[in-house]
Amino acid sequence: MIKVNNLKKKFGDLEVLKDINIQINEKEVVVVIGPSGSGKSTFLRCLNNLEEITSGDVYINDINLSGHKVNINEIRADVGMVFQQFNLFPHKTVLENITLAPIKVRKKTKQEAEEKAYKLLEKVGLVNKADAYPDSLSGGQKQRIAIARALAMDPKIMLFDEPTSALDPEMVGEVLSVMKDLAREGMTMVVVTHEMGFAREVGDRVVFMDEGYIIEEASPVTLFTSPKHERTTAFLSKVL
Amino acid sequence: MNFFESITSIIQKHSGAFLQASVTTISITAISLVIATIIGLVFAFFKVSNITFLKKLADFYIFIVRGLPLIVLIMFLYYGISSVIVLNDFTAGAIALGIHSGAYLAEIFRGAIQSIDKGQTEAARSLGMSSSLTMRSIILPQAFKRAIPALGNQFIIGLKDSSLVAYIAVTELFSRALYASAENYMPFETYLVVGLYYLALVFIFTLILNKIEKRLDVGSVKTGVFKGSVIQK
Repeated sequence: MIKVNNLKKKFGDLEVLKDINIQINEKEVVVVIGPSGSGKSTFLRCLNNLEEITSGDVYINDINLSGHKVNINEIRADVGMVFQQFNLFPHKTVLENITLAPIKVRKKTKQEAEEKAYKLLEKVGLVNKADAYPDSLSGGQKQRIAIARALAMDPKIMLFDEPTSALDPEMVGEVLSVMKDLAREGMTMVVVTHEMGFAREVGDRVVFMDEGYIIEEASPVTLFTSPKHERTTAFLSKVL
Repeated sequence: MNFFESITSIIQKHSGAFLQASVTTISITAISLVIATIIGLVFAFFKVSNITFLKKLADFYIFIVRGLPLIVLIMFLYYGISSVIVLNDFTAGAIALGIHSGAYLAEIFRGAIQSIDKGQTEAARSLGMSSSLTMRSIILPQAFKRAIPALGNQFIIGLKDSSLVAYIAVTELFSRALYASAENYMPFETYLVVGLYYLALVFIFTLILNKIEKRLDVGSVKTGVFKGSVIQK
């Protein structure tokens, strides 16, 4: 479903991703962990071309993102993304936030889009907020709306970029629980997070990144209990 | 004739002409601001685009217009352009004022567009929205709202600057004042009266702008309906 070969990303002279190779299968939940500055968010953002890659290849469903005739908007429509800072559209209601892209990009009718939106709002437990503006929501509610907004496009893959890092501690649970439901339903997910509990419980595979490389990847149990690399051990000893 | 008699006589004699001229002032301002808004938006897009040529073009335009006194620009357009195409004074004046305000509006719009959080663009693009759709439905509505106070300022400056087209024979408010004072030899009193007319116009303008500002202030805190609802777990 996702294939990454020799991915490199430079910001000016700074090489953030040095050589990333990974394959992610359908319905797999991959959790990416690592110290800050390790390149995990940049890696995630390369998967939908929010960061232009410097060299290497990223394939989404066998389509090369840097191919010449690729319509990146079509690919992005199939790859949902949830951001640390939610990035809801403040000038639109919750319902409009969710229905905008389905109507404008997927060319759904307003009615179809709204029906779907209400289903998703039910799923994230916020039907009563349909007509509210983002400013009036708590952080946890905003993030659940952001997830619903991404899901409204019927994505095949969901990318989560530290979805709970900007939340007050008491709101982390509500967001993680929505993500757990999603994983259970078989969504292909790539999650950058510091929530080790989530990684252990939901992840099919945990990827440890440091200094622009994937140092180690394994099932959560293996990685958390018997990491092979010193750097992984050192990192885990700090966060667990 | 004492001071108050002079004022009264000016008002009696010229109020009709001043009122008519005010209409001209308002219409030339309005038309020039429409032109300026279009120019401003286009050049703001140029400035935030990735195309170097367009950026340079916008920089050049802004450099020229900001570097020239408005009266020079008006004279240049009136005498320069009208030797190529025939423009009446009103049209030439409106275009010159529009070109002038356009440069300032371009900078206001650019600043407002760039002040919108990058996350907004990223969220929209991640949903598969094209860059132009993102600009239209996500960035511009927010940027426009943010630009309103500065726009209001510039619009008021535009209204006052319109007095300079008197020098290309547009019969707007200030040109009427020139005629009147040449006729009655009471420049002080005449300009006082005309000053009051300008104040009144700016006052009306400000009221309208405030109303727009209030009307556009949606989406910031619209919590009323759901106040007190329980945060759901």
